[in-house]
Amino acid sequence: MALKERPKPFLLPEYCKGCGRCLDACAKDCITLSDQINPLTGLVPVELDLANCNACGLCMDACPEPYGLRPAHEGEIQDFELEDPAKIFGVKPSDALEPVDIPSEVLPLPRTEPLVIKGTYASALGALIAGCRHVYGYPITPSTEGAELMAKFLPKLDGTFIQAVSEVAAVNMMYGTAGAGLPTMTFTSSPGFSLMLEGVSYMIGAELPGVFVDVMRGGPGLGNIAPEQSDIKLACHGLGHGNTQAITLAPSTPQEMLDLTILAFELSFKYRNPVVILGDGYLGQMTGKVQLPESMIKPGIPKWAVYGDAMHRKNLISSIFLTETDLEAHNVHLNAKYEAMKVEARAETFLCEDAEVVLIACNTPARTAKGAVQDLRNQGIKAGLFRPITLWPFPVEDLKEAIRGAERLVVVEASAGQLEDEVRLALSKAGVRQFPEIESVRRMGGILPQQNEIMAQVLGQKEVRA
Amino acid sequence: MSKASVFYDKFERHSHGEGLKGHATHYCPGCGHGLAHKFLAEAIDELGIQDRTVAISPVGCSVFLYYYFDVGNSQAAHGRAPVVALGHKFANPDSVVISYQGDGDLASIGLAETVSTAQLGAPITVIFINNAIYGMTGGQMAPTTLMGQTSSTSPSGRNEYNGQPMKMAELIAGLDGPVYVERVALYDAKQRIKAKKAIHKAIKLQVEGRGYSFIEVLAECPTHLKMDPEATSKWVKECMEPVYPLGVKKDLTVDPWFKRNPPCFKGEKLLSLAGATYEHPVRSCKGFPTHLAPQDISLKLAGSGGDGAQTAAMLIARAAINEGFDATHIPSYGPESRGGTSYADVHVAEDEVLNPGAPDPQILLAFNTPSLTKFGPTVRKGGTVIYDSSVVTEAPVLDPSIKVFPVPFTGIATDLGKAVVKNIVALGALQAATNIFPKDTFLTAIRVALKDKCALIPLNEEAFAWGIKSVEALEK
Repeated sequence: MALKERPKPFLLPEYCKGCGRCLDACAKDCITLSDQINPLTGLVPVELDLANCNACGLCMDACPEPYGLRPAHEGEIQDFELEDPAKIFGVKPSDALEPVDIPSEVLPLPRTEPLVIKGTYASALGALIAGCRHVYGYPITPSTEGAELMAKFLPKLDGTFIQAVSEVAAVNMMYGTAGAGLPTMTFTSSPGFSLMLEGVSYMIGAELPGVFVDVMRGGPGLGNIAPEQSDIKLACHGLGHGNTQAITLAPSTPQEMLDLTILAFELSFKYRNPVVILGDGYLGQMTGKVQLPESMIKPGIPKWAVYGDAMHRKNLISSIFLTETDLEAHNVHLNAKYEAMKVEARAETFLCEDAEVVLIACNTPARTAKGAVQDLRNQGIKAGLFRPITLWPFPVEDLKEAIRGAERLVVVEASAGQLEDEVRLALSKAGVRQFPEIESVRRMGGILPQQNEIMAQVLGQKEVRA
Repeated sequence: MSKASVFYDKFERHSHGEGLKGHATHYCPGCGHGLAHKFLAEAIDELGIQDRTVAISPVGCSVFLYYYFDVGNSQAAHGRAPVVALGHKFANPDSVVISYQGDGDLASIGLAETVSTAQLGAPITVIFINNAIYGMTGGQMAPTTLMGQTSSTSPSGRNEYNGQPMKMAELIAGLDGPVYVERVALYDAKQRIKAKKAIHKAIKLQVEGRGYSFIEVLAECPTHLKMDPEATSKWVKECMEPVYPLGVKKDLTVDPWFKRNPPCFKGEKLLSLAGATYEHPVRSCKGFPTHLAPQDISLKLAGSGGDGAQTAAMLIARAAINEGFDATHIPSYGPESRGGTSYADVHVAEDEVLNPGAPDPQILLAFNTPSLTKFGPTVRKGGTVIYDSSVVTEAPVLDPSIKVFPVPFTGIATDLGKAVVKNIVALGALQAATNIFPKDTFLTAIRVALKDKCALIPLNEEAFAWGIKSVEALEK
């Protein structure tokens, strides 16, 4: 067998940065640094004199540039400097396949009797029904039960639960799984959600889906573990750095914890954007009647995913846009998406049609307010409840309708006015200048407003504190 | 030797592939990244895994790895690459995931992620470029900067107040998770061959499902060391290598273990995990107990942890829902993990529970004196109070409209041989005192709750019957 002749190197000088690693590698001293600056690069490339070259190949091994020193094949490029690089290297950047969507399947789920379960449990089941088999989390009261349930369920479904080293790690595991195109979620509570915000911003930037169930607790700082509606501002206006928004859902019953978790996954994939579910500690612990749906999801793989197979090889998950105009265009695209999300605004109105006093509340305080509405009606007062189900986008059209005949607006919340700020901002952006003065029933520190406090406010009694 | 096919034919992502950038890397002359990229590309080629590879490029000079590698690419936040890699690996266990990180990324901001991922041991490959400096941000001190080495944030040289340089390969090798850890260099042909082999091996171990591997590459950064490329190579050899000795730090022989089944999407399996039932429960109620309230009944159960107040509350809620009503149960506990207070707010409504809290209940079930003292006065006029007369010796004076039933929950349960069934005695008493639901409604709920512990059903039924009898005796 004849020895195959080894190729000698060739080099396009404009692809040489002159690092000189090849100089040492050559035993025949064929390579020298030029004394001319290459006008195309401003760098000083090496020069080859291949008279003594024995084609050992070590110079090519030493060259760090993919298109630097390369083998000159026989009969190929002779006068390579005159060749168009596109002709030498080809114009096709990649032979990777063009990815297509592998759609999700909707599978039937036999009808069952209603379950009697806690809100957190309902949310976990909702995630499983929505096709989520990858959950990452870090224990934090009062959301820990979610992680515990997933740690129990997922191995039985050949799914993955990893207890991360921190919330920062958990959200980035979500980034990876979401990048691979699969549904993923976490359970957390306020301080943990703060830590996750860096990752949320990256997910929004890289357009990744993912569901965050934040069982809000008292703050700021360590605060306490009792229920507070402390993260409305964070979810609606502070999802990490940059131009970020995410649909934010506020369930008020265990049934809604299930339904809205399923919806969250759907919206998250529809818009390629995280979705936040804000719960409160009461809701997480509250047991109630939960009817399961009659279908479940087996997720597919979206065409944009980096799944790690031939179909998705050409894809990139990234939030970097180094060129200013590229990043501006990306933000214009994100804004268009945020605008499109506005059709997802949802609200419940309860006895608002003829209401003169409209209470505005979400989460567990909305249920307390509902009880108050009933009591007020029993006392002959035309009261109603407006309950935003999406806090962002705020259901302002529904609000406008609900408060049309209202003489009084009372915002009931377990925070220092975060919900009221959303109401005011929504009305202001919608150009509503005329509305009744906003009254408030607020508790903080992990105390929810009580029905008697709402009654006292509406009836003009002296403040009652439970 | 020739361009690895893993490199794009044209770097379209590098300034849109315009001009020379379409075929040149963004690295400075003499930078170590280029060679590390090349060895990585060659290993991917040789192992035939281009389609399966996912490269994670976090913040640092190598964040633009995706300009060059024709593989699945995921760009990560500063320091988070290894956990992003885990997210990809567990999403698709057949993918080959490579986390390519610099020293600021891996050894500083991402230290927690680095160490915990290594300890977890799932098969991913970490390529760690140690050039003793921050490159992208412009030459600041890295955790790997040598003692005495100047940088823009250690202008007089790293000193004892900056601490000693981090020896990551040794640190990672000291963990139980990794199977293979090696430190290599690029400064001469011999080291380059070793580096190439190490990277190949590290990825092969992942492909075979054997575990986590970590390759530290001592690399040159002439720009920020302010030396020419040749001097930088020499500096790596003469200054860095003594601090960061080359060689294999850990190499375990491990059988392939990382095998994961595809996730299950069988509805029946999911429903059985959820504890869902298909059978319509037997209903015994003729209608909503309007003799107690027209639409909504509120109850409070209060005791100490271990009294079973929460279980009893849950049984009431289940019983109500089985009968087609709505119900809620909110537990609240004292801060203690064991013992302490344990209260439950329960609502039963014909259609929908509006307010699930029970600050002024119609019915109070109290398991001890403090609970009775605390909540007795909150009970609405005309309401019902049932308490454990075995432990409550002195009952507070309550509104005369309130019906009070002292029943020795604990005494009866102890006589039955199991003190823990005192909450079931209490439920029996509740049934008899209020007739909120028929006996069978409770018994059905108790049997369903004990379906996995059938042997306990007779005892619980007896306890329930004794609760009823005690109230009947009081009424006679």
